[in-house]
Amino acid sequence: MMEGILEYLYNPLVLSILVNMAVFLIVTLSLNLETGFAGIPQFGRVLAVIAGAIGAGAIAGRIMAAMMGLPAGLEYVGDKNFVIVEQMNKALESSPALSIGALLLSLAVAAVMGGIMGYLASYPAIRLKEAYLGITLLAFGDALQIIALYYDPLAGGTAGIVVPDVFRFTGTGEIRFLSSTLIILGIAVLVYIYVQRLARSPFGRALKAMRDNELAAKVYGKDIVSLRAKTLIIGGALAGMGGALWTLYTGSFKALTYNRLTWTFWPWAFMMLGGTGNNLGIVLGTLIFSTIRSLIYAYKTELTTFIPINPNWLEYLLIGVIIVLIALFRPQGILPEKPEMPLSKKKIESIRASLAKGD
Amino acid sequence: MQILAGPVVQILMTAIGFSGGLALAAAGITLIYMTTGTFNFAHASMTAWGFYIVFSLYKVLLGGNPYLYFPVAFLFSGLLGVITYVLVNRWLLKRGADMVTLMMSTLGVDLAFFAFINIFADYLTAAYKVNTRLIVLTTEDIVLGKVGPFPFKAITVISVAIVVGMALFFFLLLNKTKFGIAFRITVENPSLASILGINTEVIYAFAWFMGGAMAGLGGAILSLVISGTPTVGNTVIVPEFAASIVGGLYSIYGGLLGGFLIGLSQKLIINWLGDVFGGNIVVYEPIIPLLIMAATLLIYPEGLAGINWGRILRKKSGR
Repeated sequence: MMEGILEYLYNPLVLSILVNMAVFLIVTLSLNLETGFAGIPQFGRVLAVIAGAIGAGAIAGRIMAAMMGLPAGLEYVGDKNFVIVEQMNKALESSPALSIGALLLSLAVAAVMGGIMGYLASYPAIRLKEAYLGITLLAFGDALQIIALYYDPLAGGTAGIVVPDVFRFTGTGEIRFLSSTLIILGIAVLVYIYVQRLARSPFGRALKAMRDNELAAKVYGKDIVSLRAKTLIIGGALAGMGGALWTLYTGSFKALTYNRLTWTFWPWAFMMLGGTGNNLGIVLGTLIFSTIRSLIYAYKTELTTFIPINPNWLEYLLIGVIIVLIALFRPQGILPEKPEMPLSKKKIESIRASLAKGD
Repeated sequence: MQILAGPVVQILMTAIGFSGGLALAAAGITLIYMTTGTFNFAHASMTAWGFYIVFSLYKVLLGGNPYLYFPVAFLFSGLLGVITYVLVNRWLLKRGADMVTLMMSTLGVDLAFFAFINIFADYLTAAYKVNTRLIVLTTEDIVLGKVGPFPFKAITVISVAIVVGMALFFFLLLNKTKFGIAFRITVENPSLASILGINTEVIYAFAWFMGGAMAGLGGAILSLVISGTPTVGNTVIVPEFAASIVGGLYSIYGGLLGGFLIGLSQKLIINWLGDVFGGNIVVYEPIIPLLIMAATLLIYPEGLAGINWGRILRKKSGR
C-alpha cells in the first residue's frame, strides 16, 4: 500500500504539481491575509517573496558559510560561489541535524526579511488608498527585483547564485525531490493552520471589520495603523518563507525567476479563482491552477502537435481568460467567503443547547 | 551605454521622443480611469501592440515609411480598447464591481493580448524568417538635420507635435462640443448624466477607444526611440503608471505632463548619475520613475493634480 503511494508520488508530474501548489499556497495565503481579510490591494506581493528568497539564498547561505569557516564575503556570490556551496553541501549531506538547522535558519532569515519588507510597505499603506496604494506596492516589488538583478554583491546579479541544498541529506536524485516536496508541503500545511487560526482570532475579525468599514472599526477602538502594519509584517514574513522555499527547492537564486507576473499576478489569479477571503478556497484555487500549469508544462511537446501555437502562450491565454471569466461570472470565487466561527461548531452547539435549557 | 556617454543634447532628443510616447500612454490610462474607474493593466499590451504594428507593417509586410503606420497602430489599439470595454468592462461596470475586480479583469485581458502578440511574433518569424524577439527601429528614423555631430531625428519633433495635437484635440472636444460637455458630466456624476439622457455607455466606449488608441500611438512612437521585445509592454507599463499617477489620475493634461516629467527625468537623471558614478549605474534606470512616483505620492497622496493649485496661487498673490 505504502509503496504504491510512493511509486505514484515519484511521478515527476505529481511532484511538480505538489511542490508548485505548496509554495504558491503559502504565498497566496499571505496575499489572502492582506487582500482578502485586511482589504489592502497588495499588488507588490513579489517584494516580500524576493526578499525572502534573497534571505535564504544569499544571507542565510553566507551566515552558514561563515560558521563553517568558508569565505562569506563577495566571493560567496562571485565566481567561487559554486565551489563554496559544494563544500557546504558535503557537510550538509552527512548531517541531517545540520541540514534541518540550515533549513530553519533559512526560513527564519527569510521571514525576517519578508517582515521588514512588509514593514516598509506599511509606510505607504497607511497613507494611500486603492489604486495609488496598489501601484505604489507594485513599484516597490519591481524596484527590489531590479536591484537584485543588477547589484551583483547582493545575490549574484543576472547570473544568480547556487544555494546550499538543505534537502540533500535525504539522498540524491528522485528521493531528494520527493522528500523536499513533502517537507515543503508540510510547511504549507502549518502555514494554512496558522492563517486559519489567525482568521478566527479577534485579530482576524478586527481585520475584516477594518476592511468592511474603516470608520466603524475606528469607532470601536481598533487601531487601524497598527492593524495594517501588523498584517503587512505577518503577510510579508509568510510570503518571504514561500520565496525561500522555492529557492531552496530549486537550489538556486535567480532574480529573473522572481518577477511580477509569477509572484504577484499568479497568486492574485489563484486567490480570485478560489475565493477571496476564504482560506480553503485559496487551497482549491492554488491546486487547480498548479495542476493546469504543470499539465501544460508536462505535455508541451504533445500539445504542439494539436495546436499550432507555442504552449507558453497557451498558458497565458488560458489564465487570462480564466481571470476574466471569474471577474465576470463568479467574482466571489469558487468558495465564497463565509463568517469564521470563533469557536468550533461542537462548542457553539453545546453552548447553544445549554442556553436553550435556560441555565 | 554609447548613447549615455554622449553629450546632453543627444540624450535630450531621445528623452523628448521617449517622453512623448510615455505621455500619450499615460494620458490614456488617466482617461480610462477617470471615466470608468478602471486602472487598466492591459495598457501594457496595448502599447506593445502599437510597437509591433509599426514594426511588422514597416519592416516585414509593407515597407515604406514607419510614420505611415502610426494611424494603424492608433486604430488597432483603440479597437483593443473597445473590445475590452464591450466584452469585459461594460458588464463589470453595470454590476458595480469593486475597484480591485475591475483592475484584475484588465490584467486577465492583458495576459490574453500578450499571448496574441507572442503568437503573432511567432507567426512572423515562421512565415518571414525575421527576428521578432529583438526589434531595433531606432536607426531607421528619418534624419531631419544635424545638431553638432548628432543626427536630429524626426521622432523628436513628431512626438511633441502629436502630444500637443492631442492636448488641443481634448481641449476643443471637452470645452467646445456638446459631446465634450456630456463627457464631463459623465465623469463628474454618471447617474445624473443618465437622468439627463446622456448615453453613458457611448462615453465609456469612447474613453476606452481613445485610451487604447493613445497607448497604441505611444507604442508606435516608442518603437522609434527604444529597442523592444514582445515584453516591451511589461517594461514601459511601470513608467506609464508612474506618469499617470504623478499626473493625478483625474486630468488628461496631468497625464500628458506626468509623461514628460517621468520620461525626461528618467533619461536625464540616469545620464547625470552615469557621469557621476560611472556607466555601471545605468542599469538602474527603471527604478527612477518608481522613486519619483513614490516620492510624489508620499508627499501628495492624490498626485500632482490633487493639490489645490488655485489656493496656493491665491496665497502667493496675497488675495
